[in-house]
Amino acid sequence: MTASSDNRILGIKNRYLVLVLLIGWAVAYRIMPPVLMRIQLPAEELTHAVQLPLLGRFAFTNTMAAMLISDLILLVLAFSFSRAARAALAAGGRAIGGVSGAVEALLEALYGLTETNAGRWAREIFPWFATIVLVVLVNNWLELIPGVDSIGILHAAEHGFAVQATALGTTIVGAATHNEAGGLFELVPLVRVNSTDLNFTVALALIAVFMVQVFGIRALGVGYFKKFWNTSTMFTKPIFGVIDFGVGLLELVSEFSKILSFSFRLFGNVFAGSVLLFVIGYLVPSFAQTIFLMLEFGVGLIQAVVFGMLTMVFMSQAVVSHHGDEHADPEGAAAHD
Amino acid sequence: MEGNIVQMGQVIGAGLAMMGAIGAGAGIGIVVSGAVQAMGRNPDFAGTIQTNMILGIAFAESIAIYCLVVALLILFVGVS
Amino acid sequence: MAALGLNLGYLLVQMFSFLVMFVVLRAWVYGPVLELLAARREKISKSLEDARKAEELREHTEAESSKILAAARAERATIVADATYQAEKRAADIIRGAEKEREELLTAANLEAESKVQGALEELRPQIAAIAIAAAGRIVQGALDDARQHALIDSFFSGVREGKVTILEGEALSGAAAVVTSAITLNDPEKEKIKKALADKLGGSAKVSFRVDPSILGGIVIRVGDHEVNGSARQTLAQLQESLR
Repeated sequence: MTASSDNRILGIKNRYLVLVLLIGWAVAYRIMPPVLMRIQLPAEELTHAVQLPLLGRFAFTNTMAAMLISDLILLVLAFSFSRAARAALAAGGRAIGGVSGAVEALLEALYGLTETNAGRWAREIFPWFATIVLVVLVNNWLELIPGVDSIGILHAAEHGFAVQATALGTTIVGAATHNEAGGLFELVPLVRVNSTDLNFTVALALIAVFMVQVFGIRALGVGYFKKFWNTSTMFTKPIFGVIDFGVGLLELVSEFSKILSFSFRLFGNVFAGSVLLFVIGYLVPSFAQTIFLMLEFGVGLIQAVVFGMLTMVFMSQAVVSHHGDEHADPEGAAAHD
Repeated sequence: MEGNIVQMGQVIGAGLAMMGAIGAGAGIGIVVSGAVQAMGRNPDFAGTIQTNMILGIAFAESIAIYCLVVALLILFVGVS
Repeated sequence: MAALGLNLGYLLVQMFSFLVMFVVLRAWVYGPVLELLAARREKISKSLEDARKAEELREHTEAESSKILAAARAERATIVADATYQAEKRAADIIRGAEKEREELLTAANLEAESKVQGALEELRPQIAAIAIAAAGRIVQGALDDARQHALIDSFFSGVREGKVTILEGEALSGAAAVVTSAITLNDPEKEKIKKALADKLGGSAKVSFRVDPSILGGIVIRVGDHEVNGSARQTLAQLQESLR
């Protein structure tokens, strides 16, 4: 559905269309007021859980559904980009149009950033940086699609909502009360944004921090670990040697705190964003949620870029040997966060 | 909605834990203020400054994230 | 951990998913995009190089054109100077020629005018002389009263006597008739004197007749046959006019 050149959709000027939609929204709100969803941290299970020998309880969750959708989107994107890029290369490096062109522009900017930070390691670090950015971006922006987080399966529950059959299906109509005749239900969304699942963010953070160490060892060998276990100046400098050793231990702690801050930053932002959208949709009948959707668009982009950029910066710092002043670089700052 | 004193404590504690976000907010404000001033002084280095600004924001924000983690732990994991 | 939703199985699934995405993107996106960037960079540097070359070429051409221009300017200056010189020379020549011609013309005109004046003078001289003689004749006529007339005649005869005036040197004039013309009527002594003088020359039988003609102004004219002795004032004036011519 693209706007024609004179800003018309279906023969109606855009601003009137927006007005009609706002009024329709308000009317729908009067007829069928939304309810505040139950806010839950872990992902909801869509299938029956099985008990696996080593991994414990396992089920197909709604965040996994989002993961599969985002993977599919990324696959399609990558495939189309690959074809477009090869065509462009065959044509002597001409510009790519469409979505692939946007992807190319983003990747070019990311590669520029990597080059300024990592220098000759840029070609090694760039794939991790770009993959993190793209995966997190697609997962974050899934939140903006209508129906995600709001279409699901009703389960009978002790603390739930009253339901009512309508022409199109069944919907939740009221807040939880104890004395409803038809029983109470709760909605399990079919698709829940992957970034609101801690498994996803922790997995990403673990991979990122692990790869930082891998890059450090590849670049500096065993000497990389001197950053964490620094006894070289312990006996040469009376007091500062001990301080340096303590700083090394703090570096070690900071590596773990990186995992924590990586994972919870992304999780916190996106989870808070979706809760915000629930609450706003519940409180304000019309239009307000649109503004917060725009905000979530920006937050999703920024968090994706921040996650990737921090990973890239940590990697490019890990490949540089640390003989200088350790407080001068952001790694030292990372030790204190 | 009947509750118990443990629930009340959890909710209040989570709210109090999020007060740590005050410092993070102020810190982010300071970081962005300095970065914008620097960009205004020498726009040629806006890219580098922006990168470092985002890094600084991230570090300041991680304080708030620890608060969030603690709040979530209090709310959902509980004291038991 | 379970309350936060962390689950080892889910975690591994997410990691697996991410790594699969990493491999796929690396193969399908990053390789081509890096190639594309390299190609573009090469293209940009090449076009920059081309632009630099074009700039050099342009500068070169500019220098050359300015050189040519300067040469042309110098040539133009010399041509202009030369032309000015030539023109000045030509003008000077023309002026000089014109002056010369003018002088020549002037000289010629002067000469012509002079010659014309001369001619006119030449032409005028006899007339003037005639006028002057006429005037003199008139004056002489007015001035010759009777006494002077007689004196003139006397002086004529006295001249004859003294041999100053040769009259009718004696060939064969005897027998011829003589005519004596005078301005006034001669008195008798004079007539006798003339007869006597003539008789000496012509012989005694000579017949002498007397005529009065005032146009001879004064003196006398004696004609014997074809010979004439002219002692008149007119004759004197005519001689004078002849000498003035």
